[in-house]
Amino acid sequence: MMEEKYETEFIFKYWLKFKNILIDGIIIGTANTTLALAATIIGPFKNFLPNFIMAHSMGIAVSLAILFSLLILRPRTWKLFLIIAGIDICFGLFIGLQISFIVLRYFFNIFLNWQTQNLGLQAIIAGFMASSVILYFLITKIRLRYRNEMIEREKIKRMAVEKESILANLRMLQAQIEPHFLFNTLSNILSLIDTRPEKGKSMLLDLTKYLRTSLSRTLPEKTTLSQEISMITVYLDIQKIRMDERLNYKIDVSNNIGQHSFPPMLLQPLVENAIKHGLEPKVDGGEIYIKATEDNNLLKIEVADTGLGFSDFDKPGVGIINVRERLNLLFGEKGRLIIEENKPHGVRAIIEVPINDL
Amino acid sequence: MIYKAIIADDEKELRTYLKRMLAEVWPQLEICGEAANGKSALEMIDSLSPHIAFLDIKMPGISGLDVAKHIAGICRIVFITAFDQYAVEAFEREAVDYLVKPVTKERLLQTVNRLKKQLQSSPEPPADLAEMIKKLLTGLQGNANAGFRYLQWIKTQHKENVRLIPAEEVDYFQAGNKYTLVITAEGESLIKKSIKELSQELDPQKFWQIHRGTIVNVSKIENVGRSLTGRGVLKLKKRSDTLTVSRQYLHLFKQM
Repeated sequence: MMEEKYETEFIFKYWLKFKNILIDGIIIGTANTTLALAATIIGPFKNFLPNFIMAHSMGIAVSLAILFSLLILRPRTWKLFLIIAGIDICFGLFIGLQISFIVLRYFFNIFLNWQTQNLGLQAIIAGFMASSVILYFLITKIRLRYRNEMIEREKIKRMAVEKESILANLRMLQAQIEPHFLFNTLSNILSLIDTRPEKGKSMLLDLTKYLRTSLSRTLPEKTTLSQEISMITVYLDIQKIRMDERLNYKIDVSNNIGQHSFPPMLLQPLVENAIKHGLEPKVDGGEIYIKATEDNNLLKIEVADTGLGFSDFDKPGVGIINVRERLNLLFGEKGRLIIEENKPHGVRAIIEVPINDL
Repeated sequence: MIYKAIIADDEKELRTYLKRMLAEVWPQLEICGEAANGKSALEMIDSLSPHIAFLDIKMPGISGLDVAKHIAGICRIVFITAFDQYAVEAFEREAVDYLVKPVTKERLLQTVNRLKKQLQSSPEPPADLAEMIKKLLTGLQGNANAGFRYLQWIKTQHKENVRLIPAEEVDYFQAGNKYTLVITAEGESLIKKSIKELSQELDPQKFWQIHRGTIVNVSKIENVGRSLTGRGVLKLKKRSDTLTVSRQYLHLFKQM
């Protein structure tokens, strides 16, 4: 039903354009001239001029009637449209024929009327058939164009969705490595090599692991929550060396829950946010607490920090927007990201995803 | 004469590293203090009056740039940054001393030689240099803060918790009896802020008031039509409800 409504609407819009009216006018004009020629050859009245005038005045009258009733009544369904068109044709033919008689009488001194050689009835029958054929032809043409446009629109829509998902992936990858983090970590490693080479070595290994995952152009389709958590641990260990006693962290994810599959790089941005916006700018630092629970087929992962928290006027980072976009792409309405104030201070971000869909 | 310096960086390992490097390159320099944040750096400069301050730009609380603003006429400053293109460009342009992390010995040597020369010619930092640094920093910080003044988070009460919704995810705000309704794709919530307050705090590029009681997120608008009474009717993306644009605000939707 919806489809049909849009289709008649499309016809309406189609005939609002001057260019389309012109083209269809030419088609109708040509058809009417042909009709007049045919009538001259096989019809009862072997004079071309009156036939020509009659065909055209009927054609114009019918076209105008259809055009204006369409503009005014705007039929929503095909049934309505056809009824209106039918009335328009009968009415237009009658009026058109009358006008052609007047025109012929006043301009060409040819006197005709309905009775002349059964002219009226024959003209109406021929006109009705011709009008139906022309109308059918035009509507088929418009419907074809409508289908093409729908296909095109569908294509554009599909491309937009694809583009969105590619962009979300790209942004996620781009947002990953923070130059500040990278260069500070390298400086730390450089320093540790001289003083505590063992610690420097383990930090370098952690950084390598972190970079390998963050830089990979393609993300693995399926990873488990445990894998994601081990990535986060690597990241937090690096940050722990940098921030020393200003950072503490606790991860509470049981082996059982860790086995669930979980999209990669969905949790990481939240942890990075907690450090970057919460703890790093806070003089005393604080704690990060990561907890996963399972409830009613819903996997719920919480990243809480005791950092500075958001003021009303802090711009949300790309991380948060990306996570929500990806959740939306992957799970639709079933995936959620909730951000709350942590008490007494800091931020708590909660990701909820359905377990079945993972 | 023995010159004194302090090092301010929030990362302990990096302070130690710079200290060791300086000991190699400039053994006579006395590192009289190490600060882990801007506040203690300022206190140290005040109590120890060093000749030179090595300041990391990104520090918790008071940043290195803020510290510099206070001490520009008091001691010489060397900025340290891990990665800050704008700052580095500005330092380069204004010939302000800076180091990038990881600090290399060659680069540190250059800086040290320059500092030595400057200190020999005049132990006090020249007054115009102080002015210049202040000006430069004002420019830099103005740059970083620009455009961040609009309301970005909508805080709503949700059971016993306060939920944070990024403003750009809100579809529209609707005035209610006592509260304002915040409508997002995920549902509705209430806030105390009035439509009037919101209209002043939200980014006017992204949020338009379209009615006495309605503010809409421009990026969520699908299309706008006309009702029979001459008002505008807004259709929003991914929503079935429509919003009314009163005549007063219809000019917002006039064709460009």
